Amino acid sequence: MLEHVYLIPLIPLFASLVILLGFKEDPHSPAPYLGLAAMGWCLLQAVSIFWGVAGGRIVLPYEASINWFPLATEVAGKAFSYQMPIGVLIDGPAAVMLVVVTLVSFLVQLYSLGYMHGDSRFRRYYAFLSFFTASMLGLVVSNNLLVTFMCWELVGVSSYLLIGFWFEKPGPAYASKKAFMTTKLGDCGLYLALLFIFTKVGSFQIDQVREFATRGYFGMGAATAIGFGLLCGCAGKSAQWPLFIWLPDAMEGPTPVSALIHAATMVAAGIYLIAKTYFIFLAAPIAMEAVAWIGLITAFLAASMALVSYDIKRVLAFSTVSQLGFMMCALGAGGYTAGLFHLTTHAFFKGLLFLGAGSVIHAVHTNDMRSMGGLSKKMPITFLTMLAATLAISGVWPFAGYFSKDMILESVYHHSPVMFYLLTAAALMTAFYMFRLISMTFLGPDRDHEKHHHAHESPLVMTVPLMVLGLLSVVAGAALAHDGFVERLLSFPMPQTPGPEFPRALGLGVSALVLCSLALSWFLYGRGDFSIAEAVKKRFSAVFNVLEGRYYFDQLFLGLVAVADGAAKLAFWIDARVIDQTFVDGWGLLMRVFSELSALFDGLFIDRTVDGFGGLSSDLGTGLRALVADGQVQEYLLYAAIAVSLATIFILSR
Amino acid sequence: MLEQIVFYSLAALITASALMVVTARNTVHSALFLGLCLAGVGGIFALLGADFLFAGQIMVYVGGIAVLIMFVVMLLGRASDLHLRQMNKQWAAALLVCAASLAGFWKIVRMAGGALATAPVKPTTGPLGLIMMGDYALPFELVSLVLTGALLGAIFFSRSEKSQ
Amino acid sequence: MNLGSYVALSAALFLIGVFGALTRRNIIGILMAIELMFNAANINLAAFNRYLHPGGIIGQTLALFIISIAAAEVVVGLSLVLAIYRNTDTVYVEDYNLLKG
Repeated sequence: MLEHVYLIPLIPLFASLVILLGFKEDPHSPAPYLGLAAMGWCLLQAVSIFWGVAGGRIVLPYEASINWFPLATEVAGKAFSYQMPIGVLIDGPAAVMLVVVTLVSFLVQLYSLGYMHGDSRFRRYYAFLSFFTASMLGLVVSNNLLVTFMCWELVGVSSYLLIGFWFEKPGPAYASKKAFMTTKLGDCGLYLALLFIFTKVGSFQIDQVREFATRGYFGMGAATAIGFGLLCGCAGKSAQWPLFIWLPDAMEGPTPVSALIHAATMVAAGIYLIAKTYFIFLAAPIAMEAVAWIGLITAFLAASMALVSYDIKRVLAFSTVSQLGFMMCALGAGGYTAGLFHLTTHAFFKGLLFLGAGSVIHAVHTNDMRSMGGLSKKMPITFLTMLAATLAISGVWPFAGYFSKDMILESVYHHSPVMFYLLTAAALMTAFYMFRLISMTFLGPDRDHEKHHHAHESPLVMTVPLMVLGLLSVVAGAALAHDGFVERLLSFPMPQTPGPEFPRALGLGVSALVLCSLALSWFLYGRGDFSIAEAVKKRFSAVFNVLEGRYYFDQLFLGLVAVADGAAKLAFWIDARVIDQTFVDGWGLLMRVFSELSALFDGLFIDRTVDGFGGLSSDLGTGLRALVADGQVQEYLLYAAIAVSLATIFILSR
Repeated sequence: MLEQIVFYSLAALITASALMVVTARNTVHSALFLGLCLAGVGGIFALLGADFLFAGQIMVYVGGIAVLIMFVVMLLGRASDLHLRQMNKQWAAALLVCAASLAGFWKIVRMAGGALATAPVKPTTGPLGLIMMGDYALPFELVSLVLTGALLGAIFFSRSEKSQ
Repeated sequence: MNLGSYVALSAALFLIGVFGALTRRNIIGILMAIELMFNAANINLAAFNRYLHPGGIIGQTLALFIISIAAAEVVVGLSLVLAIYRNTDTVYVEDYNLLKG
């Protein structure tokens, strides 16, 4: 079953090409079913692989590759021809990610049948979805950092296409550009890191790089530099501070696309890449620490921003950023298993939350939570599944998030108790804003009667994915954590570091605090009476303004761009006025004078001489022609005969 | 003795008729003397024991080429030609060149001079046929190709404008 | 008879041919002169074959090839003469001055 694993990225890619080239744009085109079928096949493959791994029938890691192209190169002064491989490497994280990506993508495609119904570019949407998923799957299975990077960029391109899917509107067009350019900023670091790796190792193959790193050949300095480069790329892709600014805007795309981006395909890539190149971070403690702190800062800032937002999708976007910060922090703190475990569970409940939000938006045609409220009666399935997801993301026992978040907190506490407390604060904020979302959307009285009246439960094609993800949000954590399965599957051999043990009581305390936070959230927003919340907002308006202004990071970036623009203008001015006008033009003038002189000499002496020779030959030829070349063949023959007779006499008389 | 008599008479015949070929004012006479000259050369072949060459010379040259030239001469000939000079103005220079070359060739004649024939004369038709089908099969076939090309070329060039 | 006599005969025939080719005004005359030169060469080949390589026939073989080539040459030459005559209405080579520079 594993020998055909390379088909998992190729089939959606093929499906996307077929949809794009083989179908006409038509609201009733059968193209979506092709994409759905391809993804369903991949899902079955992924699940069967996962099942085999879980049952112990498949031994990981599995690797297979073919030679792609030879590359003449030189490493450490030794020239050789490197055979660039292209192939698959399936280890525990890859097996899990395959299931996550294909499952979420499949459900999103199913859901989109309802959500995108009647869109004028239905076919293109499905082609892009398949392409997006194919890129991510390629990234997951690749055994070669160069191919990984290519898929990484393809993920970026397809996210650009999908965020800007409604490109005729200015918002999505701007957001797609922002997402693309922000992630590109990070990719520069990633690219440099990969080049650095190649110049050190002479190979892009992950197992070879790993071998190199684990033997300590990199050295501290190189490993740190590479680690920071990788971190830079992953911070861009996974929306980490300070490059997180693109993700809240990325919700301008269709909501199912947001679900895909936030849950499975785009932002997961960064975390996954960190996990894939974990051996480098293990060799570079400073980079590792930076990963942890960046994750922590992101988790905290994003959670605080989510507290005050009224846009349902924006809350979820901040939540994603925050949760990705959790994972980063866990990875940086040495919690490899915890980070990837949370990536998995988060994919389920965040996908669910976005699809649920899409369902709500589909029903009430607005993103503003202040116009919602009291939808629980109208949309019971959406409400119940989203409630499950909320409890999961908040970390309430026995929902999925409880297990992964608990594991994260445990590993972070083991690393540094200070980080643990900050992260716990972020977790409490998570519980608060998530329940705030539920409260404002589903509970309390309806605030907009018009919208409330028209609201209705979504069709089955949209609620079935919700239910599937809801079920997973409830059971996935417990199922995976059962009997230490996740530790076996998602583990990385690393040295044990000394640190304080996580007291069980502290875990219980966190759970209790989470419940309190939920209750507080319900008290402030759930009863249909926002007066206390408004009063708090007035009292601390300065804080709220900073939060609503997203800590002014966008402005900061715009300022940086403006500064860069100013610097570029200055450089342009210097170039135009100083360099061009004095140096270049002056030099040009000098050259011109010199060339004029040269031309004069040329014309006076050289040309005359050349012309003289030419004229001489010409005159000679004309004279000779008048003499001999009168067109009389027999005369020519006579000349030849004279020559032959002279030659005969000359040769024979010797 | 007989051989010498035959050789010298043939040589006289060949030289005289060749001179007539290049000097005769009437081109028809030239052509007729050409036939005579070629027949004389055939006689020389016979004298040298080259029986097949003798036959080929008579059939191809005398019977074919000389007659063909005769035809063309008569095809293009005009009555007024008989009164025109048939030799151009550079005859003196040509004579000089020929004399000079003869002086050169005389050395070759002297070098060849003393050799005498030793082997008895044998029929050559059989060995020629064997060699043509054996070692020289490829040139033989090439010659047939050349002849075919010449045939086609002749047809092409001699077609009259009207028939095109 | 010795070889020198044959070579002398051949040389004489050849030079007569050269003289004809250089002096005949009539283009057919030139062709005939060229035939004389061919024959001179053939006499040489047959004579050398007889005197220097007795019992062999390679010289005669070459002479046969020359006869064939000469036949081809004459055929093509005569048809060219015909074509030229049709265009220029003359057989005198001094009237053929297309090569005049």
